[in-house]
Amino acid sequence: MNLRESLRISWRSIRSHKLRSALTTLGVIIGVAAVITFMVLGTGFSQSIVGDIEADQEPVMTVHTQTVPEDGFGIMPVDTPIYTETDVEVLEQVEGVEFVAPDGSLDLVQTSTDDEQVTGVVDAHATTSDRFEHEPLVEGETFDAEDEAIVNERVSQLFEGNVSAGDELTLAFDDGESATVTVAGVAEAELGEQTPPRVFLPVDPYYTTTVETPDGTEERAYPTLHVRAGSLDDVEPAQESIVDYLENDSHAAELKQDDDEIEVQTVEDAIEQFMDLVDQLTVFIGAVAGIALVVGSIGIANIMIVSVTERIREIGIMKAVGATRRDVMQLFLVESVVLGVIGAAAGVALGLGVGYLGVTFLEWPMAYPLDWIAIAIAMGVGVGVVSGLYPAWRAARVDPIEALRHE
Amino acid sequence: MAQKLESTSVAVVAEDVRRTYFLAEPVDAVDGISLSLADGSFTAVMGPSGSGKSTLLNLIGCLDTSDEGRIEVGGRAVAALSDAERARLRGTAIGFVFQTFDLLSRLTAAENVALPMVFHDSVRENRDQRARTLLERVGLGDRIEHRPSELSGGQRQRVAIARALANDPTLLLADEPTGNLDTETGAEIMDLLVDLNRQGTTILLVTHERTIAEYADHVVHLLDGRIESLEHLGDARDVAVATDDRSPIAEGGDDR
Ligand SMILES: Nc1ncnc2c1ncn2[C@@H]1O[C@H](COP(=O)(O)OP(=O)(O)O)[C@@H](O)[C@H]1O
Ligand SMILES: [Mg+2]
Repeated sequence: MNLRESLRISWRSIRSHKLRSALTTLGVIIGVAAVITFMVLGTGFSQSIVGDIEADQEPVMTVHTQTVPEDGFGIMPVDTPIYTETDVEVLEQVEGVEFVAPDGSLDLVQTSTDDEQVTGVVDAHATTSDRFEHEPLVEGETFDAEDEAIVNERVSQLFEGNVSAGDELTLAFDDGESATVTVAGVAEAELGEQTPPRVFLPVDPYYTTTVETPDGTEERAYPTLHVRAGSLDDVEPAQESIVDYLENDSHAAELKQDDDEIEVQTVEDAIEQFMDLVDQLTVFIGAVAGIALVVGSIGIANIMIVSVTERIREIGIMKAVGATRRDVMQLFLVESVVLGVIGAAAGVALGLGVGYLGVTFLEWPMAYPLDWIAIAIAMGVGVGVVSGLYPAWRAARVDPIEALRHE
Repeated sequence: MAQKLESTSVAVVAEDVRRTYFLAEPVDAVDGISLSLADGSFTAVMGPSGSGKSTLLNLIGCLDTSDEGRIEVGGRAVAALSDAERARLRGTAIGFVFQTFDLLSRLTAAENVALPMVFHDSVRENRDQRARTLLERVGLGDRIEHRPSELSGGQRQRVAIARALANDPTLLLADEPTGNLDTETGAEIMDLLVDLNRQGTTILLVTHERTIAEYADHVVHLLDGRIESLEHLGDARDVAVATDDRSPIAEGGDDR
């Protein structure tokens, strides 16, 4: 029997059991839909982030500490303050470096304007005014006195009165201290909605964390440094010198825990790291997809086995009118492949639909993961073959006499 | 060994055929049957329920294989055939008609009739054309697109007969084709079979009703898997039925 005939006959029997066929393929539909949805969201997410970062690539680097947790997975940032004032001063002298802005967080409890109060939500970072030298402020300018601050757009929007340059904020800290500052400028929220509301204050006098340096002096120390190079071409050599100093001669090298690593990350490094994460996620999704498809195959196989038993008389009739074992095998195999492909196609459609809703809602770009769609359809065929083999083999072996005696 | 004297004139030869089923205890469903059916003959097999009629028919129809003995259909020894070859033989040289009609409920009358041709890989247009012709021949020219559930018992059996004729077989095997029909409809079906026989199809019919058996030229009476007696109903045609070698009654099929 040729393939077109078996397709026609199989399609008939699938259509005559619409509900059952739909239920049979549910596993495959859900599995494939989940994968496609993840892929649409993942691609949309990374495109929106990478797009944002790449669009205005700046010659900046971040110095931070990280560790590989024991019997853990991935890398974890470490927030211990190990980069001292001395380190900052030395790094500022490195060839190609324009400035080094330290960054330390402050425990802000409450933020208030004249008539509004926000508890929590806003976090505060101490840094130097250099940090905003090149950053396009939405309004105002960088701080240059100890009672001035910069807020980002998210803070500004947090208050009904829309905090803007010139307004006064009262900040209450965890240690009981409080300060009243004037907003000097409003900074952009780099990641849009994802950016936390943040207040930037001058290191002096708000940042008070100190450590004892290897030289025996007491110095302010920071968990993070922001470095800006003179130009994009300066980034790479500067990065090398900075790494060299930090790893060998700095206070940080002595202050850090043995397992900790000093990381100097450029924008490109950040993108790369992010893409690595996306790749890892992809592997993970692949594994989820694998499990879903195994479950899906079992679903199809199960129904096909039931269907062989149910249709035993039909098989007997077909054999009586001249169907060979091969014909019967082919019919059942084609039927399960058709089910697999229908499941995969429906899954792709559903996945794209849900993904589309997701990215529309999150305002990310829509992506069509063509490679994954192709993989999904191929998997549909594979699932069909694998799950159909045993039932088809059983159907082929049905004894026509037994089958025709069957009520 | 069995050299046939007039090989062209013999449709079916069975020699000492045995088939035993093993369930709780062995049942010799067919216990040493020899017979030969001449081309164009119309033979009825009668006997009480359980006497082995269906088993014999299934053996000749290559649905079942004998444990012992030899069966030839159209001059081919079926024991030597592979499973696929026997399937092919069922599809082309043999047509089956069952008591319960056994149509595929999802398919229309025409599609049911075309089914044996699908397995025989004939072209779609030819199939449709032939299914139409056959349905017209059995008097169902106006029921081509109907499904079995929309047809009466007699009409269903006509579809089944048309299906049996699809690949133009030389041998038609009918197992109690009127068993599920009222007398009048049964008679109509029998008239159709007689008609087909006149046009040259060899027919072997199983029944336990005397009135039905009387449409045939010969009756083979079975009891407990053996041939009890043979009866010639005296049609003019020169057909022969032989039992086992102790009592050869005719010239065909037995040369020992
Ligand atoms: N597939 C089978 N398995 C076991 N026993 C069977 C089978 N087919 C027939 N038999 C037994 O063989 C005997 C003959 O059966 P069958 O040929 O169907 O008789 P009939 O058609 O004359 O009523 C019966 O005793 C029946 O129970
Ligand atoms: Mg019977």
